[in-house]
This record gives sequence, structure tokens and C-alpha cells, in this order.
Amino acid sequence: MSIIQSIKNRVRQRSIHVCYVNVGSCNGCDIEILACLAPRYDIEQYGIYVHNNPREADILLITGAYTEQWEDKLRHLWDLIPEPKAAITIGNCPISGCAYNRRGARIDPPVSKHIPVAANIPGCPPRPTEIINTILELAPVVFKDYEIKKEAAEKERKAKEAKR
Amino acid sequence: MFSIICYLKEFLRAEWIKKFLFAKTPPLVTPPHYRDFPQLTGKECSHELRCMMICPVPGAIEVLKDENGKWNPVIYKGHCLRCGLCVEACPDNVLTSGRILEQNEIDRTSLLGTYHLVIDNKLCMKCGNCSVACPINKEIDPRLAHNATSSGDDVIMRIKNSKLTILHPEKCTGCKTCEETCPNRAIRVYRCVEGVQD
Repeated sequence: MSIIQSIKNRVRQRSIHVCYVNVGSCNGCDIEILACLAPRYDIEQYGIYVHNNPREADILLITGAYTEQWEDKLRHLWDLIPEPKAAITIGNCPISGCAYNRRGARIDPPVSKHIPVAANIPGCPPRPTEIINTILELAPVVFKDYEIKKEAAEKERKAKEAKR
Repeated sequence: MFSIICYLKEFLRAEWIKKFLFAKTPPLVTPPHYRDFPQLTGKECSHELRCMMICPVPGAIEVLKDENGKWNPVIYKGHCLRCGLCVEACPDNVLTSGRILEQNEIDRTSLLGTYHLVIDNKLCMKCGNCSVACPINKEIDPRLAHNATSSGDDVIMRIKNSKLTILHPEKCTGCKTCEETCPNRAIRVYRCVEGVQD
């Protein structure tokens, strides 16, 4: 592994930029994300920064049960995020719809149907510790040796095409 | 001049520099009173289905038979709210979560429920799905099937004289399985739950 790659690995895992989006939840999970920012949990000490700008973000935090209005918008938002990127869903709503998933409710869970989701955090709402732990555990999986993995994937794709 | 030296002396202490550069909040520990997802205590479940009755979320808890033939509640993460009502409602203390059981023992509180079954005869198409799906009916008469007609009168409800008849409403545990399986929403279960302290 080259020196540049090792520096990239180190730096990327120490500065994770996060953008959060509410696709129709009750705001309980958003309050838990805010609690992460507060001094009691203080996510900036782990190198996680909240920007709320998808163009700057590495990780997208999604709360909510995916209402109809988000049908075209969430995909667009996901496409704006530069690679390497990952999406984490927070709470029960993006997994199952939870208490909103009743007959006639205008929601369309799970969110993983619409964009690729790397991790789910169940709970209604989950604890801030669970949110922080998930982000920190997911970061090395997504960001470590990203360029090497990308090259390998490219090679594999080309080999497949050549076979055809 | 002296004060500047004093300041420098204060801020050049190794202890202070270490504290300043490596400041951390206390380690993230879950407090013992935190209500996490309900866990099994290992006590025997008597299949009263009160957990399913009280659960506010669709599809969060189910009482299933394991491979040893014993009933046990199963919690589905991603549905469960961690409200702790199933822990409180269970008469056998099968589930535990946080300090709910200890607190109930101290307060001597429990939950009492009564359930009312109402059938809308205009909507009911006598398919018998509700009677076949009912877990209590299944317990009483495992052979209840085929439009719920061929059985005795011990069950909660069945099709009798080509009409859905409620025979033993007092046996109902309010799990709402019948309501979920009814294609027309013809059967409704009304639950009245009150907290009691003795």
C-alpha cells in the first residue's frame, strides 16, 4: 500500500462529514441526532462533523418512513453526494414504518428499496450512543482502501466484459 | 512581567497540556435503568398473549412455538418501540427490560384488560378467516379449518348456521389477529386496559 493511500485512510476515518435528512418522521430521531452534537455525547471529538450539505457529505443519515413527496428527491440527494459515500437509516421508520405503517398510510418503507443503505439503527428512537457507534463502525468499512477497492472492481468489470 | 511568567508556568504543565489536547467526554455507557429491547428471563410463557394485545406497533411482537414445543415471545427489532408495555402486561414475567419489573414489584401495579368483539354483519362475508387465524381457537380446537364450520362450541367464534357467531367472548385476549386477517375489516376488537394498584 502506498503512503498516500495510508494517509487517505487515516484522514478519512478521522473526518467523517455527515448530512442528515428527514423523510417523514416524527422528529424524535432528529432530536437524538441533535443530542449527539451536544456536549454530553459530542460527536466532533470523534471527528464526525455535521454539515447538512450533500455535496460535502460522506455519510447520509436518514430518518423517517419515506413519504410520497420524497420519491424523486431522495434519489437526487443521494446522487449529489461524492464518492466514497454511505447511507445509514436511523430509527424504526426507515426499516418498517413502525407505528406509521397502518392501512392507508401514505408511506413507502423500507428506505433500502429506494437507495442503497449500508446500515440500519433500530430503535424508536435509538440512543445517541448507538448512532455514534454505528457511524464509527461503518466508517472503516466504507472508507478504508477506497481507491484500491474501486480499481479492483473496475478490473473485475472489465474482465467480465472481455469474457463476453 | 511576573504574571506572564506565572501564566506560562501554569500552561506549560504537562498535566494541563494533556488535558487540553486530549479532552474526551466520559465513556459511552448505557445506564442500568435504560429500557432496551425486551429480553427473555427464561420463565415459562403461559400463552396468554397479553404482550401482543398491548403492543402499540404492528408486527413488533409475536408469541411463537420453538423447537421444544414451548411458547416464547419473539421481539422484532426495527418494529419494536421499546415502550416496555409488553414487559408490564405479562402475568408470568417472561420478558424483562430495564427496571420495569423491579419497579412494578415496588409499586404493586398491574394491567387489567377487557376485550369486546364486534362484527359488522353487512361487511362480513362468512369466510371464517378470523376464526381460523385466532391463536386461542387454534389452541382449543386445532382442527378448526375449512370456513370454520366443523368444530365444537368451545371456541371464541366460528361460523354457525352460515353466520359468524361469537360463542365465548370472555376467552378473547385482544391480540387483534382476527382484525388483521379479515379482508373486509368486518370484525373489530375493542380493548379496554386499565392499570391497577393493590
